[in-house]
Amino acid sequence: MLTSEETERYARHIVLRDVGGPGQQKMKAARVLVVGAGGLGSPVLQYLAAAGIGTIGIADDDRVSLSNLQRQVVHRTADIGRLKVESAADAIARLNPHVVVEPHALRLDAGNVAAVVAGYDVVVDGVDDWDTRFVVADACEAARVPLVSAGVLTFYGWVSVLKPWEIGADGIAHPAIRHVLRRPRDGRLQTCAEVGILGVVPGVVGTLAATEVLKLVTGVGEPLVRRLLNVDLHDASFDVVDYERDPDEEASP
Amino acid sequence: MKITIKLFATFRQDRFKVEDRDVAPGTTVADVLKSLDIDEAEVGTLFVRGRHVEPDRVLEDGEALAVFPLVGGG
Repeated sequence: MLTSEETERYARHIVLRDVGGPGQQKMKAARVLVVGAGGLGSPVLQYLAAAGIGTIGIADDDRVSLSNLQRQVVHRTADIGRLKVESAADAIARLNPHVVVEPHALRLDAGNVAAVVAGYDVVVDGVDDWDTRFVVADACEAARVPLVSAGVLTFYGWVSVLKPWEIGADGIAHPAIRHVLRRPRDGRLQTCAEVGILGVVPGVVGTLAATEVLKLVTGVGEPLVRRLLNVDLHDASFDVVDYERDPDEEASP
Repeated sequence: MKITIKLFATFRQDRFKVEDRDVAPGTTVADVLKSLDIDEAEVGTLFVRGRHVEPDRVLEDGEALAVFPLVGGG
């Protein structure tokens, strides 16, 4: 049940058609894991906390540095040198004391990811590391946890939602990460550290990712399953690219 | 034969968003990438007909190729 304080805090959700009291209860009951408390993670954490997601896990092994603050708006100048999970947990506590934060001050890898992902209803990933992205996506697929995946670079970004264990209306399973992104081989991932990023870009793309989380939690709207939303803030244009799994593909590699 | 090339994110810089091209039958995705001076190692996603393909995929008349760079987090 929502307390009277919560009812007032979330009043604009509660009057919102399709969300309402039942949707707010779902948010309160939800457990969401945010992988990466950086540029994408910042708006995700802030909006999920403000929205009243009951439990937010944060996985990040990094510490706040001065060059993060141009875009990683969950952290403050005074947080430089602190673990990002601690800095972000404090920000969430200031924003909404009803939210329970579960900090995971570690880099997710094949050895620890399953234990961390287990028990969450939705995972959001905004990591700068291609291996981690695949490790998280594979763990979410195995645990049947919906994954909101997002990336950003310079003036651009993308968001998509993966639920590869679910069968679509056409009788074909929804795509997995390997149907969207190439496995890391000799791939050269351009990073924000190398080529830069306009500070607002992860703000826009992360906010879109947070929107997908709230839709998945409440069951409202059409999530970006089988769709890649491309954000081009250089030209101020958005494209949605439909994609699907090849029904003739062999079993998972 | 005619194909359509759609570029995304940083691949648009100094190139284009969408372009129709006449190419020889047998042209592969890798041939197109080479003609665009795009290094395969920088490619994160290749879609033809909305399906993930590898660079050795031979394109057919009327198909659209979408090319996305490896884009990380923030």
